[in-house]
Amino acid sequence: MAVKDSLGKSARTVGEKVAATTVVDLRRRVKRLEDEVQECRALNLRLAELTDLVTELLLPVAQRDEAKVAELLERYQKSL
Amino acid sequence: MSTSARSRTVHIGPDGLHARSREELVLDVLFDDRRIWSLWLHRDGEDEPDGEGTFVAWPKGMKRFLDGVARVSVVVHETGEVLYDEEHRFGDGEGRVEVVDRDGNPLATDKTGRLVKTFATRSAEHVAPLLDAVEEVLDALRRAGIDAFVAYGTLLGAIREGQLIGHDSDADLGYVSEHSEPVDVMRESFRLQARLAEMGYVTQRYSGAAFKVVVTEADGSARGLDVFGGFLRDGHLYLMGEIRAPFQREWIFPLGTATLEGREVPVPADPDRLLVATYGPSWRTPDPAYKFETPASTHRRLNGWFRGIRPQRPLWDGFYARAPEPASWEPSDLARDAFAAHGTDATYVDLGCGHGADARWLAEQGATVWGLDHVPKAFAGTAASLPEGSTAHFAALNLHELRSVLSTGALLARQPGPKVLLGRHLVDAVDRPGRRNLYRLCDMLLRDGGELWLEYVCRRGRDRLARRLRVKVRQPARIEAELAGAGATVTGREVLLASTPVGGKAVEVPSRICRMVATWR
Repeated sequence: MAVKDSLGKSARTVGEKVAATTVVDLRRRVKRLEDEVQECRALNLRLAELTDLVTELLLPVAQRDEAKVAELLERYQKSL
Repeated sequence: MSTSARSRTVHIGPDGLHARSREELVLDVLFDDRRIWSLWLHRDGEDEPDGEGTFVAWPKGMKRFLDGVARVSVVVHETGEVLYDEEHRFGDGEGRVEVVDRDGNPLATDKTGRLVKTFATRSAEHVAPLLDAVEEVLDALRRAGIDAFVAYGTLLGAIREGQLIGHDSDADLGYVSEHSEPVDVMRESFRLQARLAEMGYVTQRYSGAAFKVVVTEADGSARGLDVFGGFLRDGHLYLMGEIRAPFQREWIFPLGTATLEGREVPVPADPDRLLVATYGPSWRTPDPAYKFETPASTHRRLNGWFRGIRPQRPLWDGFYARAPEPASWEPSDLARDAFAAHGTDATYVDLGCGHGADARWLAEQGATVWGLDHVPKAFAGTAASLPEGSTAHFAALNLHELRSVLSTGALLARQPGPKVLLGRHLVDAVDRPGRRNLYRLCDMLLRDGGELWLEYVCRRGRDRLARRLRVKVRQPARIEAELAGAGATVTGREVLLASTPVGGKAVEVPSRICRMVATWR
């Protein structure tokens, strides 16, 4: 709407209509791209969380140290 | 009367301050010679309807104190020019207006406009524990391999005045990581927080790169010490929570020192550069009402990388601060019905347990139960009053923090027997990302049997139930689709009339509650 308003009634020629449509389309695409960039950025946090959890808990699991797993889990959960 | 005075008239009213000034002013409002509030006239105010001047409402939380008499002074912060200085009566009260907390500690607005205990009214003896904590946490961070420095208002105070800023209320620490990838910066911040937790500090995470260390002061009050992570990337310094600025490593390292309240504290190599990045080039001019104006592009970056782990937390913190006790200790119908179906064979997990009334009741029936909530303060009283040998346990769970969800899931999966998970006004309180993690947790706990019992508002009535509970209305079809998408099978679904009375009277059109039972086998 803003594009149409800003061009006013003069937006009549085919060229201008195409230009207006293109601008609206580009705005939509930029918004989509911005959303997708944010989604990619958010992966940093997920990766950090997963890496932290795995790093802390995998070793005692691999060592089959049951008591240590239990203790670590409880300590980890409480430390957040 | 001078032109200047004429063009700067001030009136005090029950709702706020009315003033007229062509130029922007930073004003201090004093009650009986004590600063209560600082404001920017144009930035914080709105134009009067008649176009004659500006109106600024009293800050949130201030109005409840305004009953009685006070000598109100309004002073231009920079010049000390007094624009208003009169005895003013608020309401019908006879006594002096006292803006103090429950324990009588004087309150004033901080930079965010909240009423807090600020340093201006605190003696050296009072700030000493905070400074001790600053030194202690700095030392702890150093032992963990991080050279931190005082940042934000604390850096400003140290460099400009050699002391904590009067209108400030907390202490801030910052550090610049050796890492440049956000994922590594966050992992480092997680480890730092864990180290501090090991040392016995109570901590609370704000984002992937910032957390608060809670320090208990001499008078028993808790005060936060914020630890903000930062890093250098592509020629810019990023520092949680507000800064992205062109920067060079040698402006931070090697750290220098400055004096704060007579103690030596670490500061960046070139503190002026960081203060300019934080407060702009005019940082040397005091401005108690300064507000950060973070560029949108900086917000987008910091939000995208680091934030989103505590949406709505302030809302629920506030809710439980106002309601330390539940309205009733009676168990909910959901808890009663789930117990009637499963008895003491199951381990119950009350997700979003709040005050823990259901958990307490289930334990009283002889069942083993875990109450989980994002706000530990909510169930702290109940947890502390459990009888010895109680089968109720309480723990924090943040559905927006994957680490919390996965570690809680692993911890509870080790409990024997099938689990019955109760989620009363949970799916209507949390957003989609939170619900995704909820279903993940259910998946972890219900693979070998057990059930998820949900109740949520599915249709708005005239009883304002959703509003009172601070939840949103959810369509059962949508929740069912989400559950199916997460691998669950819905085995029961019924719609009930909300029975919560409003002021004891039956409501003509009550809201509707959907109860849903799901399994993950």
